Amino acid sequence: MILESIEISNFMCYAGYNKFDFTEGINVIIGDNGYGKSKLFDAFYWVMYNECFDTNKKKFQKSSLLKKLIISDKAINEIDEGLISASVILTFKNLDKGNVYILERKYSVKKLDGNLIEDIDSEEVVWQKDLHYLTAKEVIDSEQISRIKKTILPDNIKPYMWFQGEQVESIIDFNKTDTLTQAINVLSNITRYDHITEISENLKESTTKEFNKKQRDLSGDKEKSSSLELQRNETLIRLKELQKQELQIQDTKATAEEKSEQLLNKISDAQKIKEVEAKRRSIEKNLQETQEEFTEEQKLLHKKLFTNKWVLKGTENLFDKYGSLYNNYEQTKLKQELTKQARIESENQIMTELHARLPVDVPEPIHLENMLSNERCLVCDREAQIGSDAYLKIKELLDRSKTKVKTIESEDSNIHDFGADLRKLYQNGLGLSHIIKNIDDDIASTFRRLRKLDKKRKTLTEELKSIESAINSLIVDTALNVNQANDLLNQYSAQNELAKRAITQEYSTANDILKRKQELQQLDIELGKLVSGEIPAYLIDKLKVVEEFNTLAHSTRRRVFDSLVKILETEANQHYQLMTQGNMSARGIIKLKELNNGKNYMPELIDDKGNVLMQLNTGNIILIKLATIMAIISARQGSRDTDLYTLITDAPMSVFGEDYTIGFCKTVSNVYRQSIIMSKEFYKNMELRKQLLSNPEIKLGKVYLITPSIPENSRANRNQLSTNIQALN
Amino acid sequence: MTKEELLRSFLEDELLIDKNYLKKGEFEKYKWATPNNQKLIEVLKTAIEGQLSNESPLITEKKINQFLNKQT
Repeated sequence: MILESIEISNFMCYAGYNKFDFTEGINVIIGDNGYGKSKLFDAFYWVMYNECFDTNKKKFQKSSLLKKLIISDKAINEIDEGLISASVILTFKNLDKGNVYILERKYSVKKLDGNLIEDIDSEEVVWQKDLHYLTAKEVIDSEQISRIKKTILPDNIKPYMWFQGEQVESIIDFNKTDTLTQAINVLSNITRYDHITEISENLKESTTKEFNKKQRDLSGDKEKSSSLELQRNETLIRLKELQKQELQIQDTKATAEEKSEQLLNKISDAQKIKEVEAKRRSIEKNLQETQEEFTEEQKLLHKKLFTNKWVLKGTENLFDKYGSLYNNYEQTKLKQELTKQARIESENQIMTELHARLPVDVPEPIHLENMLSNERCLVCDREAQIGSDAYLKIKELLDRSKTKVKTIESEDSNIHDFGADLRKLYQNGLGLSHIIKNIDDDIASTFRRLRKLDKKRKTLTEELKSIESAINSLIVDTALNVNQANDLLNQYSAQNELAKRAITQEYSTANDILKRKQELQQLDIELGKLVSGEIPAYLIDKLKVVEEFNTLAHSTRRRVFDSLVKILETEANQHYQLMTQGNMSARGIIKLKELNNGKNYMPELIDDKGNVLMQLNTGNIILIKLATIMAIISARQGSRDTDLYTLITDAPMSVFGEDYTIGFCKTVSNVYRQSIIMSKEFYKNMELRKQLLSNPEIKLGKVYLITPSIPENSRANRNQLSTNIQALN
Repeated sequence: MTKEELLRSFLEDELLIDKNYLKKGEFEKYKWATPNNQKLIEVLKTAIEGQLSNESPLITEKKINQFLNKQT
């Protein structure tokens, strides 16, 4: 079946009438982000399934929910009143059967008095036409429409043929038990083996029951037989429960191990991020402390002017000068005191001598006072007028009684002595003179410390910058941020713990199962002993045959499944090698590793010596998944219904680098008879586009370039938006 | 997949050699119509035929039961 064309009218960003013709080979629609590639994918999908992919919700939405969003804004805007319809027509040609199928889907809204009346759902019209006739016949029967659609794309093939790039992760989800089984079902009908195995199970159960009943009927002790049979049934129920439990434990263990293994790819990155982050924190803390110390030291610098007496710097001469002045002062003072002392001593000596000649209080002071008042000396009886020498002499005799021996202290009592203050100043200066000598060293040492702290601060700032840059690079390279890295390490440890617990539980359950089986065996022996008659030979034979049939069915199913996995692995490897040809760093062989529960498979990349290559990045994983998807299709080639379907995919290459683009196109054109790929890789990279258009290894169909009608910065207003389509070959 | 291919995929199993139903390599030339008196192979054929004709599993089981219940 070849998809001949798609005609799009007023569908989303495709305003007006638009048509793409396709041929066999790889058809490529080139457009940058937001240019209408996904809407084109939606157009295909909408016709077939009445749904469009909602990129925000990452799921398909029905037309009945999308409603007017299906119709071009430009188409709605251009009309004032009346009916506006969006329609998409797909024309499929089946050359082998000589049929043409035309599928149309339409959705309308009505504009009335400025209001938009939306249809509840879309309409679907299907025509069938014989290649030899001109006119097509409308298919009315819904069952026939459904059959036609299944002929165009069967449901089990659909996920591997029509998908969005971002769906690749979920199409092949190795975490889901049935992902590979589903893929194997597409590859070969493994369900036939499943059904035969189921028949063998039922036969085994019914025959065992029949045999046991016969044993009971032939029992010599029916009561004991019944009791043993009851025990047997109970043991059997318990055994089944345990077996179910064992499967669940194995599932849990396999999932935990699988998750651990997946995490293992990123664990070293996460560990590295954690370590670098710890280092960053330590540097940050150190820097903060150093900064605080530096700021404190700067503040102290001003205080130290006084606390460490730096203010005295350069005053050494002042002290010497003061010392010398003080010395002079002391000497002068001493001299003055000596002179004064001599004078006082001389005066005292005169007074002593005077006392020897005329003792004190002779004549008595009362007489002297009388003499002064009478202004006459009674000793010599002469006049002694006030102010005269005689008067003064009498007064001197009177004052002499009050006169004491002079001392230097009494002499100085009225004079302020600064000597002590000056000495204190000198002594202070003497004390400070030792500090002054060390001020330079102290200042130098303080500034050395400041410089050291500043240098440390700068080094730490540099280190912090460098480590932050390293973290950012790690975050970009590993697509993990610090929190995610921590979560990942926690998850890894939790999954490991879970796996360990499951192993213990598995061991204990396996022991229980063994015990129950032994019990069953024992009960069977005991039941057999009670049989008094002979069990019919046919029944013994029947039991043997159905048991063998059961074993054979299980073992064959297993073998066939394994061989299909191998085929898938081989095919996937061929595609992977072809896709990664353009990238010298890509290496490894895909290995689908069976997990312990015997149900899940995990892809691994191994080297030529069988060593597992760790740390698969997202690009690798997507490539492996795409290779597996292609393997599912290519492994079917040669069977009746292969290569009849068209691959339609939007941005499948967006996750991996441009190195793989040409390899991908080659592989796709080898695997699929027809494919339609929406890609942005060829939009800006003209060299890549040239290769696409000229590489003889690529079976090329039609190539189109799509661009929006209005510039990117005006795209908020979609009322004028339409899509230009340019054929490049 | 034809019924013969399906049958051969079962006959390939080691169990049939171990239990002396077939000799080594015999399955490759085994035809659907190859006469045999092995009950296990007949049971297998019945199950395969039932599968390929989309027969209900209950009917297939009934047919196998009837075949194995023959007293001779």
